[in-house]
Amino acid sequence: MPKFLTNINAISWYFLMPVLFIHFFVIAFPSILSLLLCLTDWNGFGKINYVGLENFEELFRDRIFKKAVYHNFIWTIMFLTIPVIVALIIAYLLTGIKRGQLFYRLVYFFPYILASIVNCLIWRYIFHPKHGLGGWFENQGIDFLSKSPFAMKETALYAVAWVDMWHFWGFLVIIYLTGMYQVDESLYEAADIEGATKFQKFRYITIPMIRPIFILSLIIIIIWSVPTFDYVYILTMGGPAYSSEVVANHLYSQAFQRMNVGYASTIGVMMFFYVGIIVGFFALLRRLGWEV
Amino acid sequence: MEGMMNKIFNFFLSFVLTAFFATSTFAATKVVWWMESDATTDPVVQEFFVDAFNAEHDDIELEVVFKEDINDTIRPALLSGSGPDIFDTPGASYIKIYQDAGLVKSLQEYADQYGWQDKLLEWAYNSGVFNGELYSIPKNYETMIYFYNKTLFEENGWSLPNNLEEVEALAAKIKAKGMNPYAYGSTGWQPTHEHLVGNYFNTYAGPDNVYKALIGEKKWTDPEFVESIELLRKHMVDDGYWSGGLETYYSLGWDDFNGEFVNRESAMLMIGTWGFNVTATNFAESSDDWDWAALPILHPQAGDRPNYQLATGGTMSVNAASKNPEAAAKVIDWILSDRARVLSVTGQLGYGAWLMPLHYEDSDFDPNIDPRQKRFLTEFAEATGSGNYGYTTWTFYPNDPGVHIWKDMEVVWAGDITPLEFMEESQRLWDKAREDDALVPVGKR
Repeated sequence: MPKFLTNINAISWYFLMPVLFIHFFVIAFPSILSLLLCLTDWNGFGKINYVGLENFEELFRDRIFKKAVYHNFIWTIMFLTIPVIVALIIAYLLTGIKRGQLFYRLVYFFPYILASIVNCLIWRYIFHPKHGLGGWFENQGIDFLSKSPFAMKETALYAVAWVDMWHFWGFLVIIYLTGMYQVDESLYEAADIEGATKFQKFRYITIPMIRPIFILSLIIIIIWSVPTFDYVYILTMGGPAYSSEVVANHLYSQAFQRMNVGYASTIGVMMFFYVGIIVGFFALLRRLGWEV
Repeated sequence: MEGMMNKIFNFFLSFVLTAFFATSTFAATKVVWWMESDATTDPVVQEFFVDAFNAEHDDIELEVVFKEDINDTIRPALLSGSGPDIFDTPGASYIKIYQDAGLVKSLQEYADQYGWQDKLLEWAYNSGVFNGELYSIPKNYETMIYFYNKTLFEENGWSLPNNLEEVEALAAKIKAKGMNPYAYGSTGWQPTHEHLVGNYFNTYAGPDNVYKALIGEKKWTDPEFVESIELLRKHMVDDGYWSGGLETYYSLGWDDFNGEFVNRESAMLMIGTWGFNVTATNFAESSDDWDWAALPILHPQAGDRPNYQLATGGTMSVNAASKNPEAAAKVIDWILSDRARVLSVTGQLGYGAWLMPLHYEDSDFDPNIDPRQKRFLTEFAEATGSGNYGYTTWTFYPNDPGVHIWKDMEVVWAGDITPLEFMEESQRLWDKAREDDALVPVGKR
């Protein structure tokens, strides 16, 4: 038998090959193609014309793209704060519950396992001006939620983010809880002997000890915020008046509604570079000795 | 013994070869059609088109595959050189792209052979002609009208408006009664906005001006178009004609606004003719009666009588990679050749689907047809036949300017841009589409 077939170092590569093969054709090859398409005016079907950097020039003039980038930024900030804070507090409180903890974990995690369309429909009905809370309040003579927050340009982005955060924070609770269970119990016992309060234990023991998992959650949030699409698409389609438009939504509209596939690829390339910078930043922190 | 074995072997071989050649020679040619799926339409199409066709033909076997989001599924199939023989598309702007890419087959030779130009209404036939050749056939035609609660109108002594002044006076009366003039909403289908834009272009700026702008003889930034958009903005934002205001309009979906109309929360419903079915169904359970009317003319420049906007709701084409284009053309011709069958099918679907643009005659109609529906079919044919028609954005606009209409109209309503800025962007996208040769056919007016 040829030596390369029995080489112990090569065997693991043989097992990885099917996955690498699929990955190449499903992810890598289209990505490389997308890098090339951003230099063309392809409409998705016909002749491909090379247009140089025209799409990039257009992108920097595109007011909708700028708006969408800003909305993605707001989206990321919201997700880095509200669900993280709530999930940390709830996870910490859950560690103190001995009976019925599983029930709470299930309840909090439940929205995460629901399909996005289901989550969206639930909240669309809740905020429906006639059949939802607004209608109920109106019947009580109270003018509250009489207009759906999804339908007002001042609130649409936040309302969509709210629904997505409601679905997402339970996931964070579970991963923080897992991290908290890894913390050595003797540290808390020592703190108890020293008379530390619950908050002090949380601040000086829990947070530092779960730092790797905490940083990982932040990376996940930042990266997942870039291609966010489904909740926006289902609830508002980026409206009203682009007030909830995000970058992936703009990309979809350009590629599949306006048939500007070349231009959409340019947006995709920018998203790719942005994610690359984020990953590079955290890799740099790791090289500098941070536990990330 | 060996001789016997040889005989058996020869007999067996002859039998197999005969069976093989007989099957190959007499097997029916299979025609596969990918059709947009719809829970109501699919069983009717299967029974009255597919099964009926197969029962009448031994030489061709038709198989329809009902697909969700046909536009997304057909794209990779066509690009990879596979896919069905016949396929549906949402409209002419898509056919233009497929035709440019060489993905659809020219149907001109079959159109000449079967006389399709005489079978289809002239404007509908022309909507599928690119560079002088036919590439698609409309499956359905539609136009924008308005339904009204007849009982409510009679109770209040309201009459149908004929001009802008009367529209606004009627709206004021309806609002004074605590109702909304029109029911409508865009939840679940943002392109709803383009229905309203098209209505105002055709009833205020007028179809002659729209036609000139479509063929490049006028600018979309000309005052009549800007004023149309300003009037729509005023009626939507300042006057709250649709479901009480912009935010409610954004929050209501199909069921909501149809419910609002039948429950007397709104007096009228300005919608496409696909609304016949649901309006008739909803009012059947109500004590109120309904009727419909053509959209009133809002400015004298739009003509002196109501016009009907032309629209095709989906088309059928033959795949350039089809191995059986003749059989596919035969299937299409079979459908086009029996007007009564088409009317029977579309009648079962409330005339909301499969209303093919054919030259219907009085004898083609089912005697039990709702007279209001029949009045629409005959009036539409008469009006459009005499050249009194307008243009919808979703049939005569290329993709990019078309999407701009419904995406950016919200920006005008939000007050972020003016109607003039909106139309300037429209003109820019039209110039680009014209430069890219992406325009869709508009028959000579």
